[in-house]
Amino acid sequence: MNYGIVLKVLGSILMVESIFMLPSLVISIYTKQGDLYGFLTTIVVTLALGLILALKKNKGKSINAKEGLAIVSIGWLLVSLFGALPLYISGSTRTYIDAVFEIVSGFTTTGATVIPNVEGLPMGILFWRSITHWIGGMGILVFTLALLPALGIGGFQIFKAESPGPIAGKIAPRIKDTAKILYGTYLTITIMQVVLLKIGGMSIFESLVYTFGSVGTGGFATKNASVGAYTSTYIHMVIGIFMVLSGVNFSIYYSLFKGRIKEMLQDEELRLYLIIILLAVVSIGINLYRTTYSNGSLAFRDSFFQVGSIMTTTGYSTANFDLWPTFSKGILLLLMFIGGSAGSTAGGMKVVRILITLKLIKREVLKIFHPRAMRPVKLNGRILPNETIAGIYSFTGLYIIIFAISTILVTVEGVDLVSAMSSVAATLGNIGPGLGFVGPTSTFNGYSQITKVFFSLLMLLGRLELFTIIALLAPKNWRREV
Amino acid sequence: MKVIIVGAGKLGYKLAESMVMENLDVTVIDINPKVLNSVNEQLDVLTVLANGIDIGVLKELGIGHYNLLVASTDRDETNTLICSLAKKLGCEKTIARIRNPEYMKQLDFIKTEMGIDYIINPDLATAQSIEKYLLKNYNFYSGDFAGGKVQMVDFNIEHMEEFAGKKIKDLKGFKGLLITAISREGTIIVPNGFTELLANDTIYVIGKTTDIEKLNQRVSPDITKKEIERVMILGGSNIGYYLAEKLAKANISVTLVEKDKAKCQELSEVLGDVLIIHGDGTDIHLLEEERISSMDAFIGATGFDEENLLMALMAKQLGVPKAVSKISRENYTKIIDRLDIDAALNPIYITVSHILKFIRGGKIVAVSLLIGGDGEVTEIILDKSLPIIGKTLEELKLPQGIIIGVIVRDGKVTIPNGKSVLQANDRIVVFSLTDHMPTLKQFFKYQKGGVLSELWNRAKGLR
Repeated sequence: MNYGIVLKVLGSILMVESIFMLPSLVISIYTKQGDLYGFLTTIVVTLALGLILALKKNKGKSINAKEGLAIVSIGWLLVSLFGALPLYISGSTRTYIDAVFEIVSGFTTTGATVIPNVEGLPMGILFWRSITHWIGGMGILVFTLALLPALGIGGFQIFKAESPGPIAGKIAPRIKDTAKILYGTYLTITIMQVVLLKIGGMSIFESLVYTFGSVGTGGFATKNASVGAYTSTYIHMVIGIFMVLSGVNFSIYYSLFKGRIKEMLQDEELRLYLIIILLAVVSIGINLYRTTYSNGSLAFRDSFFQVGSIMTTTGYSTANFDLWPTFSKGILLLLMFIGGSAGSTAGGMKVVRILITLKLIKREVLKIFHPRAMRPVKLNGRILPNETIAGIYSFTGLYIIIFAISTILVTVEGVDLVSAMSSVAATLGNIGPGLGFVGPTSTFNGYSQITKVFFSLLMLLGRLELFTIIALLAPKNWRREV
Repeated sequence: MKVIIVGAGKLGYKLAESMVMENLDVTVIDINPKVLNSVNEQLDVLTVLANGIDIGVLKELGIGHYNLLVASTDRDETNTLICSLAKKLGCEKTIARIRNPEYMKQLDFIKTEMGIDYIINPDLATAQSIEKYLLKNYNFYSGDFAGGKVQMVDFNIEHMEEFAGKKIKDLKGFKGLLITAISREGTIIVPNGFTELLANDTIYVIGKTTDIEKLNQRVSPDITKKEIERVMILGGSNIGYYLAEKLAKANISVTLVEKDKAKCQELSEVLGDVLIIHGDGTDIHLLEEERISSMDAFIGATGFDEENLLMALMAKQLGVPKAVSKISRENYTKIIDRLDIDAALNPIYITVSHILKFIRGGKIVAVSLLIGGDGEVTEIILDKSLPIIGKTLEELKLPQGIIIGVIVRDGKVTIPNGKSVLQANDRIVVFSLTDHMPTLKQFFKYQKGGVLSELWNRAKGLR
């Protein structure tokens, strides 16, 4: 492996991270809530280390699959370890592990927290926590790619490892332009939501935090009661709709921008995504109306918000859905596994994988009746290569295996099965709150330190789609090559 | 500049690679997902899995906004059709690869009727290069510049004991000549006066044609005196055919050995003056029977690189003065310098050089890719609007990988030094490592206008 280039890119990533801390630094100077020192130290340390690594001269330029994987997996670990420093130094969390959990939860756009009283946090820390959602959603490396000039060739390896979904595709000839288009789209959506929330009566600070939380499909809030703290239906709807928008493949917005509306509407993943949301909203809405809610429109409003929030793996809540009927909770748990679309900021297994799995099942059924039938599996009219299909099989299998084993491991803590299952589903799927012990009104603080480390790992596994992190655990493949 | 390449074969890939180096927006279309995957992993281009002949696909890509389409699929008919469609759909320029000799005869008609701007035939281009090499008396010939006034040659200094172990500044008889590059064990080095030459280095020398000729006589006096009269070609592929035809026209006696009987039959019908031998060209008895040792040159032009290289080596062993081999894979480039053959020509490089020359167009006169594709020699006519006009070479601060080999002014060839001044309408021949191509472009290409650069230029003027 070419260590020189790996270190160089890692240095650039750290520099990018330190730049993203600057707004929080400014806030902390302005608000004087005792978090200034934490940001200042971290920025200096991160920037210095980043500069040393990035300015180092190195010979090779090529980034192959190995280097790409190493950069992405180590890069994410590094930004989390350094990103946790302000929280720990400012005393916002009790231990460094808590801080790491919190910031991993931020970068992976999970939104699970270990801080019971969010309202007591300094504003700088709140802002930093939320901005990690924003960077983590589209990918800190994709952002770095847009800036780094010389990463052309190997860039695709990094892009592939960081962008969610089974098929990574460029939308412009150069990886740099692709990254710019994606971030441009992202920025546009972000600005739209900030403006709309501001109109709805939020302060600038709150609009920014809630926007980062929803477009990054993260879920960090400024209030203990999440979005539930706001009674305005307008705010619920704006956040709800933007969450759903952020769960859509971003390249679809590019097609829209290019005027290819027909192509966009025919996207099979988008259709299935919307159909699942519609079905879930309707069934939960009816279920709620017939049981706990007396007001029909309120039942559908909360149902829409919660389905949007869980499906896109954001994790905001407007109601304590832990108290909802089991049928509704069951649907939400199912949505946790499905997640958003490939190429979006959402987590989970991704709608496209579910779609392809369904198609594969359909083909298997056909083969029972016609054993010699030849039927290629198509997506959007294109035949899927066998490698992609094999990748989806192994991803789905691995996801379930990790889920099952992790659930058993978590029950060692003594929690009930639903809590354990939903904790794992909520971290692996980058959602945030789960059910029971980790329901929307409580936090992950009840778990022990070691379990928090484990959950942090699960979040990273989920965000980087399993194999990137799994590869890190296979040191045989890391040998230096001459 | 936006380019579409249809067909990611050897040519398509190399072309895409060179174009990415040139900072062009490249889109590659192919129907093979495996090929596209590897392209995607190696090059920063947009890959599209589709059939390039599908109008829907071309329209979806917005072909009307592209400046160039290169059709390099393995079928001539497909290439012609793709170019024609693209042209009708609004693509600015199209280039097609056409290999079938039958079509070559009606090229002009095809070009005008089908709307193809440039037709490239790799086999014909390679045959032309080999012919040039054989007919001119150079050890090896890389390029003709400034209308033949300047030449670049490269040769291995293995047999030149007076060269090995010396520093370049101490070499004698190099007046008016410049060593622009050294190929050492497969990598290209840009030397300065203190670089020491090692045995087995291949040096690239540029200079006035007359001076090069003098050097050449010193280097290989025995070869240059002998005119090429008898040539043996191994393999009746398209290259073999074109070359045999050309050489026969130049009154050289050509023996062509081909394994396939039907092919021999066919060739014997079209190549009346060429002796066609049906037999296995790797059979030494057959070659001896055809008196290989009396040949002046041997050309390995079969479809197999290994066969070509080994048989060229064998010919050399048997005393043939010039042995040339055609190779198509890049795998062997690194060891070819060490082999005792006179030239190894890669049709892909030759083709890419031609296409690059075409797309740079205008002020770029000639382009030549060196073996291995690591370096490039470009001839440029300096436009008076260039910012570098009137500056000395020292002031330019060119990176080490870029060397201005000669300046041709009013027909006079000079080897520049740091004090030389660049003037408008000078022709310069520049050697550059491929890595430095974008920098080279910055230096010698007229910068695009636009509000910002306008403002910047004004601001500079005010100071």
